[in-house]
Amino acid sequence: MGASYFIQRALGDMKENGVTQFLSIGTIAISFFLFCSFLLLSLNFDFFLEAWEKKVQIILYLKDGVGEKKALQLKNKLQREEGIREVRYISQRKAMESFKRDLAGYGGVLEGLKEKIFPASLEIKLGENFRTPERIRALAARLLNIQEVEEVQYGGAWLERLSLFLYILRWGAWVLGGILVIIIVSVTANTARLTLFNKREEIEIMRLMGATNAFVKLPFYLEGGLQGLFGAAGSLLLLFLLFHVFSLEVSPYLSLYFGQLRLSFLSPDLIAGILGVGMASGLLGGFFSLRKAAGF
Amino acid sequence: MIQFFQVYKTYPGNIEALADISFKIEKGEFVFITGPSGAGKTTLLKLMIRAEMPDRGEILVNGKNVTRLKNSQIPFLRREIGFVFQDFKLLNYRTVYENISLVLVALGYKMSEIPKRIRQVLRIVGLEERVVKQTPFKLSGGEQQRVAIARALVNTPSILLADEPTGNLDPGITVEIMDLLEKVSSLGTTVVVATHDTNLVAKYKKRALPLYRGRLVG
Repeated sequence: MGASYFIQRALGDMKENGVTQFLSIGTIAISFFLFCSFLLLSLNFDFFLEAWEKKVQIILYLKDGVGEKKALQLKNKLQREEGIREVRYISQRKAMESFKRDLAGYGGVLEGLKEKIFPASLEIKLGENFRTPERIRALAARLLNIQEVEEVQYGGAWLERLSLFLYILRWGAWVLGGILVIIIVSVTANTARLTLFNKREEIEIMRLMGATNAFVKLPFYLEGGLQGLFGAAGSLLLLFLLFHVFSLEVSPYLSLYFGQLRLSFLSPDLIAGILGVGMASGLLGGFFSLRKAAGF
Repeated sequence: MIQFFQVYKTYPGNIEALADISFKIEKGEFVFITGPSGAGKTTLLKLMIRAEMPDRGEILVNGKNVTRLKNSQIPFLRREIGFVFQDFKLLNYRTVYENISLVLVALGYKMSEIPKRIRQVLRIVGLEERVVKQTPFKLSGGEQQRVAIARALVNTPSILLADEPTGNLDPGITVEIMDLLEKVSSLGTTVVVATHDTNLVAKYKKRALPLYRGRLVG
C-alpha cells in the first residue's frame, strides 16, 4: 500500500467533514498568521536597525570659545581612540553654510544670520563593531566628560527605544510560537477525535477483518499533519499578500529615508521551517487523539 | 480447526460469561452454537478472533494459540476468519462495492485484483452486479446480509463465524441465507453459526454446541 493511498484516504476523510476541517484549518491559520506577523515584523525591524546603525554617528558640539586649533587637536586625539573610524571637524562657518544650503528656499529669512550662533562640532563615524546601542551610549557618555564638549547627540533615545521594541517583538514571537504549538496540537487532536468518532464503525469493521493498527492509524496522523500544513500555508499566503500590498505603499518612503533599504519577506528557510512546525504539530495532535481513544 | 480447552471468561462485576468450555471443530465442518440470549454465544465467537481474552484456558485456531498471540499478530489471525453480524454492520454512506473493497484494501490487496475478487464473491453469494453501485440501505434485509457475507468471504478465509445471521430476517429470507452458508461450507470453509433459533438447528441437522448460562450442556 503506497503513501499516495494513505494521503488520498486522509484527504477523503477531510473532505467528508468539510466544515469541521475548514474551521480547524482556519483556527490554525489565524494562530500561525499572528506568529508569522510577529516574526516578519521583528525581521524587518532587525534590518531597519542594522541599516540605521550603519548610518549612525555621534556629534560633539563644542563649547563657545574653543578655537579651531584646539578643536583639531581634539579631533586628532579622538581619531586614535578604539572604535572611532573617522572624525570630521565642522567649523562655525561650515555649519552656517550647511544650514543655509539646507534651507536655501527660505532666502530672506536667512539673511543676517551670523556664524557665531552656530556651534562648531566634531562628527564621529564609528567602526562596525561599535555600532550597537550599548556601545554608542557608553562612548557618548565618555565623550560628554571632555572639557571642550558642550553637548553630545547620537539619537540615542530613539535607537534604544527601537532596540527595546525589537527585543519585545522577538520574545513575543517566541511566546506566541509556544502557544501556537499548543493550539495546533489541541485543535488537530480534537478534530481527529471527531473523525475517529464518525468513523468508529468503519474502524471496528476494518479491525475485525484484520487490518493492522498502522493501516487504521496512519490516515489520522496524516489528517492532523495535513491540517497543520494547510493552516501554516494558508497563513503564509495571506501574510504574503498583505505584505505585498503594504510594501508597495511603504517602500517609496523607506527608500527616501534609508536609501537601498527594502522590506523583506520571510526567507525560504524560515518558510520551510514554519510549514514543518505546522505539519509536525498536527501529526502530534493526531498521535494524542489516537492515544486517548479507546481501543488504540 | 478450532479447539477450546477449559476456557473461562468473566466480565467485570463478576458476571460469568463462559465456564469450563472445551470442544473441537474440524476443518470444513458446519457447527451451530445454540442457546438463549445471554448464554455466552457471542462471547464464544469473540474469543475465537481475540476480540476478548479468556481468564483461563487455551484456544487454538488453525494451529495458532489465540490466547498467546502478540497484539501485532492479531490482524493476521483475523484474516483467516470471516465474521458476519446480526445487524450486518454495513456502512450506509458507502456503496456495496466500497463496503466489500474496504476489506481488500485494508488487507493490502493490489488495486487491480480487487474488482475481479468482488465479482467472484458476488457470484458466490448470489447478488447481481447491479447492486455494487447502490448503498446498502436501499437493499432488502436479505440482500444486505448477502453483502455482509460477501464482505466476510472476499479474502477467502478458512473459517466463517456468523453471529445470529438470520436474527433480523423473515423466515423465507432466513432459509436463503442458511442455504448460502451451507453452500459456503460445501466449498471447504469451516462455518460456525451462533443462533437462538432451535427450529433452524433442527431443520439443518448439523452438529450443535448448546450453551446455557455460559456452560456447554448436552
